[in-house]
Amino acid sequence: MNQTVHDELVEIRDLRISIHSEGSFFEVVKGVSLSIRANEIVCLVGESGCGKSITALSVMGLLPADVAGVTGGEIFYRGQSLLGLSPREMRRVRSEEIAMIFQDPTTSLDPVFTIGSLLKEVIRAHRDVSRSEAEELAVRALEEAQLPDARKRLRSYPHELSGGMRQRVMIALATALNPAVLIADEPTTALDVTVQAQILESLRTRQKERKMGMLLITHDLAVVAAVADRVAVMYSGEIVEEASVNDLFDNPKHPYTQGLLGAIPDITARRGALHAIPGRVPPPQVTPPGCEFAPRCAHSIESCWEEHPVLLPTSVGKLRCINPQPYST
Amino acid sequence: MKRIIGRLGYMLIVLIVSSIAVFYAIRLSGGDATAAALPGSATEEFRQEFRASIGLDRPIYLQYFAYMGKILRGDPGRSITNNASLIEMLKTHGKNSLILGGAAFALVFVIGIPLGVLASLRRNSWADHGIMSFSVIGMAIPNFWLALLAVWLFASTLRILPAAGCCSPKQLILPAIVLAFEGIALTVRMTRSAMIENQNNDFVRTLRAGGLSEWRVMGKHVLRNALIPIISLAGLRIGQIVGYALIVEQIFGWPGIGQALVTAVLRRDYPVAQFFSLILVVLVVLGNWLADTGYTLANPRLRRSK
Ligand SMILES: Nc1ncnc2c1ncn2[C@@H]1O[C@H](COP(=O)(O)OP(=O)(O)O)[C@@H](O)[C@H]1O
Ligand SMILES: [Mg+2]
Repeated sequence: MNQTVHDELVEIRDLRISIHSEGSFFEVVKGVSLSIRANEIVCLVGESGCGKSITALSVMGLLPADVAGVTGGEIFYRGQSLLGLSPREMRRVRSEEIAMIFQDPTTSLDPVFTIGSLLKEVIRAHRDVSRSEAEELAVRALEEAQLPDARKRLRSYPHELSGGMRQRVMIALATALNPAVLIADEPTTALDVTVQAQILESLRTRQKERKMGMLLITHDLAVVAAVADRVAVMYSGEIVEEASVNDLFDNPKHPYTQGLLGAIPDITARRGALHAIPGRVPPPQVTPPGCEFAPRCAHSIESCWEEHPVLLPTSVGKLRCINPQPYST
Repeated sequence: MKRIIGRLGYMLIVLIVSSIAVFYAIRLSGGDATAAALPGSATEEFRQEFRASIGLDRPIYLQYFAYMGKILRGDPGRSITNNASLIEMLKTHGKNSLILGGAAFALVFVIGIPLGVLASLRRNSWADHGIMSFSVIGMAIPNFWLALLAVWLFASTLRILPAAGCCSPKQLILPAIVLAFEGIALTVRMTRSAMIENQNNDFVRTLRAGGLSEWRVMGKHVLRNALIPIISLAGLRIGQIVGYALIVEQIFGWPGIGQALVTAVLRRDYPVAQFFSLILVVLVVLGNWLADTGYTLANPRLRRSK
């Protein structure tokens, strides 16, 4: 291992994850490589079911153990392998080094405990502080997540807060311990359109202030355009294209990416739908020999159906396609 | 709060209706009260006179009002077989029943919840299978049969516990366990399934992502959520225990309310039967109200609802 400072906070290398449920066994993440650096927002986009959440959960060591498991590859945090950590060491990493925010703030908070007791419990699981010190830290975290009346809210139960406020609590919970990396899995999808932008803004403010590395999973291309530094496009368990946000939006190379972008007539539109590409994601149990996207691709040639393309570096990023087309709108 | 008070009103209505039902049931099925109080040689005239002296000749609804009036004034009357004061009987038998029922009620949760939690955490292990088989047996086996089995095993064969009697701690063990058995079995089941159900909640993932230990996640958060339905049905356990106490007290010669009631019915001692039936009804209704209160208190989503 070299001695340079690790530019990459998190580095996922050739990660493979399999699901075993109801007697069947299939790969849902098929060799994903992705890195998150300090002070940048990486967006992971792709249609529902392509393996985004599973990838994110594996970084946290939170795959549902009874159905999913890492079958190959590595996940590094500051150069150290996370997959080899003991449960105890992994618990320390969670929320102290890498924190995660989930999609649905309605179900993501324990309904029978107050916001304050939850925050304090997490803080005290990591920091040797008194109850009152933990309370101060909790108030500060809530204030920084821009929850109004933070101190008063300590005694609120989750059901007494609106969806947006709950997601602010989730942000406070995730950032209370100053993690270096924040993973947000569709943090605004379950919220009212009117509060989505506010929550996103809060998240971005926190990320910039703390110079956190952030992995933002979304299928809202307007969100990507607004906040991403870098974008990775995932299709059927694989990264098919990766580039900086400008390069990707100006000059998408993979037909799938082009399809995604074509699906929103105007990027500045509030909400982009990803489902306007003809056909649908193949079920993960079926693995065609060639390109996974070939059945839906307008530009597929014969060899697309025969050999599986590899992810190759391009001048501006990475691409998994043997017949890229120039992009025209 | 409103919910709790609203329930209180509902409980009063249930109490009134069931007191009427009990009153009628005892009066109509109790047979001839004079047979219990008077010698067989008593003349019909004398019997009539006796009935009139205790108000049995009046219309039944008037009797009901007179009776409830006396009860509310704290004077439920006396036994017609041995003239014992019902208040005194309630004190001694009530205390015994409270000891037995309380012990059984505590056992239901003290044994049932930890076993259920253990089974849920070691799902499909031999411990889980063992606990669940025990629970199936506990629910299937009739109470009186379990009592006889327990007496045969622990008292007659192993000779480590007394077969009957009151009221030393050793004498309490067998009846309390028998009385609690079905409740334990049910509580084990409910705890296990509620734990498993709650383990799939999204908030569990949040807590793990917060770096909490499994012990905290399961033992505090999941358990606390799993307890809501268990607490809410605790009142039903009270009702169950009250019902089974009739049999169990009889078998173990435990002089509680159940035993007094059974004896009174056999002797057609209607004041005793009526009074103690009422007491049991009050206990069951009270149990249900407590259960609802417990459910409301255990569930913050209901507690603060306006
Ligand atoms: N708990 C689970 N049990 C069975 N299959 C699952 C489970 N979680 C995810 N999967 C499968 O893994 C694949 C990827 O899921 P996920 O990562 O949640 O997709 P995304 O977040 O991109 O929508 C899907 O095909 C889904 O069917
Ligand atoms: Mg997802």
